[in-house]
Amino acid sequence: MKTIWGKLLTIGLLSSASHVLANNEVLPSDKLTNEALTLESCHVGEIRASVKCGKLQVPENYQEPTGEKLLVNFVVLPAIDNSEYKAPLMFLAGGPGQAAVELATGLNRVFREVRKTRDIILVDQRGTGETNPLSCEFEDEQGVYDTTLQDFKASDVTECINQFTGNLSQFNSENAIRDFDAVRAALGHEKLNIYGGSYGTRAGLVYMRMFPQSLESVVLDSVGPIEVPIGLFGQSGARAFNLLLENCKNSDSCNTAFPNLADEFQQVKARLAKAPVELDIMHPRLGTPITFKLDEAKFTNNLRMQLYSVSGRSLVPLVINQAYLGNYQPLIGLMASTEGEQMVYTGLLFNIVCNEDMPKVTEQMLAADAENNFDGGMSHFAFNAICPLFPKYTPSENFYEPVTANIPTLILSGELDPVTPPSNGDYSNKTLPNSHHIVVKNAAHTVAMSTCANKIVNEFLTKKDPKALDESCLDEIPDEKFMTSVNGIQ
Amino acid sequence: MNADFGQLKALVLKEYKEAFRDKRALMVALMMAFMAPIMIVVMSKIMIEKMVDEPPVYIKFTGAEYAPKLMTHLSDNNILPFADIPESDRGIWDERNITLEIPSEFAQNMAEGKPIKIHLQADFTDKAVATPVRRINSAVRDFSLSIGYKRLQLRGIDVRLLNPVTLVEQDTAKPDATFIMISMLLGVYLMMAAFMSGLSVAIDSSAGERERNVLEMLLCQPVSTLKIVLAKLISAATISLIGVVLILVLTSVSVGFVDLTKVGATFSLGLSTVVTLLILLLPICLFASAAQLFLAFQSKSFKEAQSTVSIVIGIPAIIPFAMMMMDDRPQWLDWMPISGQSLIMEDIFKGVDVNWLAVLATSGVTLAITAALVLSLAKKLKSEKVVMALS
Repeated sequence: MKTIWGKLLTIGLLSSASHVLANNEVLPSDKLTNEALTLESCHVGEIRASVKCGKLQVPENYQEPTGEKLLVNFVVLPAIDNSEYKAPLMFLAGGPGQAAVELATGLNRVFREVRKTRDIILVDQRGTGETNPLSCEFEDEQGVYDTTLQDFKASDVTECINQFTGNLSQFNSENAIRDFDAVRAALGHEKLNIYGGSYGTRAGLVYMRMFPQSLESVVLDSVGPIEVPIGLFGQSGARAFNLLLENCKNSDSCNTAFPNLADEFQQVKARLAKAPVELDIMHPRLGTPITFKLDEAKFTNNLRMQLYSVSGRSLVPLVINQAYLGNYQPLIGLMASTEGEQMVYTGLLFNIVCNEDMPKVTEQMLAADAENNFDGGMSHFAFNAICPLFPKYTPSENFYEPVTANIPTLILSGELDPVTPPSNGDYSNKTLPNSHHIVVKNAAHTVAMSTCANKIVNEFLTKKDPKALDESCLDEIPDEKFMTSVNGIQ
Repeated sequence: MNADFGQLKALVLKEYKEAFRDKRALMVALMMAFMAPIMIVVMSKIMIEKMVDEPPVYIKFTGAEYAPKLMTHLSDNNILPFADIPESDRGIWDERNITLEIPSEFAQNMAEGKPIKIHLQADFTDKAVATPVRRINSAVRDFSLSIGYKRLQLRGIDVRLLNPVTLVEQDTAKPDATFIMISMLLGVYLMMAAFMSGLSVAIDSSAGERERNVLEMLLCQPVSTLKIVLAKLISAATISLIGVVLILVLTSVSVGFVDLTKVGATFSLGLSTVVTLLILLLPICLFASAAQLFLAFQSKSFKEAQSTVSIVIGIPAIIPFAMMMMDDRPQWLDWMPISGQSLIMEDIFKGVDVNWLAVLATSGVTLAITAALVLSLAKKLKSEKVVMALS
């Protein structure tokens, strides 16, 4: 069985907080139980201090409360100073399909200021992490290097779907929000603040529509509004890539090193389209000889992944230039840095996107999205190939209505974002009555994860007035810089 | 019975009157209670600053122009060139005279992947130089590593190979464990307050009264010596308890001025904690006063009493520290006065549930020793040797 559909096709709205597997070592003491909730001291990720790990039993189908049950896995990072109660912050993860608990280490760092006085609640959305994960057993680990989209087999996907337990139609966004609100209630909080990053903003918007009375304030970082279907990444990716070309042109060192970057990119693409490359390389981790295959789609898809973060972007000009010169090692090194890590529970990703977003996508929309100079319609391949294989469900009727909840909402967008461009944030800013949209010039996807915007988030949680925040630190984020030599000229 | 109680009451009233008459002496006695919270706040602030803050470090660069990215990295770590130095700090840094020399081939060697040496000069025996040097060291190492990682990555190598083993520390302390610094200090100060606050009253009402010939008059009255001793004990213990309460109240107020969350800690004294601490320390107050009275009566003069009793104050300071040094504590320490209480206080501050059996045991032993001291004093006061300080 091949990892290909899980690995090559990881296209989604990921939060870029560093990914560390949770290590739930449960300590025996300090058990608190009611019939459905358990909460105990534990350690997660690389957080030194012990935190609280919990499970909450919920119905798989909320229409049938007595039917099948699910155990929702969650973690509370307790406030450091809890002498004064403040409503906690719940983090809604991206993807769809990222497991919030697996991101605990990074979030603990990013939300350090928030955690000084507030609990931070991380819930594994149903279908991810330890809440009935929709993932299958894969064996072939070297797949990343020697497979291309040509090797995609629908039977692999079907076989995987058959391994899933649970009724897939219940693993939807709305039920996930019911789970989140059930965790809130079980922990005894009357109100919550939520931070949604990437797909987490979609989840956040659904939360605002379904349970506005549970929310004190909302942060939407890199918005995927209901109005914009997830999955059309052609134009937004090209936009982010063209901004990179432009910024390289405007930077003396980058422009001197790579004066023909746009041209070189198109040439590499054309070359790969004509004939995919096959190379004998050393496995980047194992050190044993393997074959490396590269075609056009694999090339652009790997570059697209770099566009998510400013640090990833800094390598892109060099990688393109070296590929143009016939050296694919930099590209292989980039692929190696995330090889073997499951960033997203692919089963849940496709289950949600295929049923909640793709039905809204028309042929015309696909055609318009494919008309770009970066990767054309290549980002559609995954959804086109996989969505027909997933069982169908339909979200509730008002799912697609714009959200108008009157809750203080801070909207953040990164100008360089390849999947949720600032125009996405404008949609939500327009329909929400008490919101403010900040576009950060030199940031990419999920702004608060990588910039001082996390301090603004903290200020917002205290003040609850999105329009009266001190945004000055965002101006100090430097223009993006690019690596210009494989040895790093200083 | 009622008459007995009436006598004791009168005696206690007399002792209180003596103790509270001299307001200034009383204030000095309670000095400890006022000083402790200030000490705690100041020490915590210094500690936190050392742990968290990175004050600017100024060094003299030569060849800074050859390595602009290294300069940016250093200034991100608050390591700055001499040009940025504020006038007021110039003298200090001139004296420390830390220099960093960057060779002119820096850029070329970097591009060619050759190793580069940069030289750091300073007087390494100067203590003030140690921290800046350590910070420069780690900043340069980080800079070097990050370039190293990128070089390997761009050569198609999985950079995670560079970290074969990572040690993840998992602290099993309760999440709401308090800042250890404060609880340690507070524990010692509470003990010391119990011993020091009542000190002057204890000496004055024993050796002092004897020199003023008040004791003789008292003993001539038809009251038992036990009552006299008890009255003196109650009076001295009350003052020492006031000292303890003052420390608790003032500390819980003053700790609010320190931002402990900076180091991921918190400190709050809830009502239940305060009550538990008082229950725990009341026997210690009685024990301290009894021991002081005993020693003061034993000595021949007021002066001698002062010096003997002063030595006793050392005990509550030394015992907790000594216990901290011991990795394996003998079991019987859990029962002894002072050591038993400090162990229980440690648990209270850590947020561990209080072992009430241990509280009962150590309080019992403490009160028993106190009772023994009181009884033997009462007996001794019947002898003229003690009263006239002839022994």
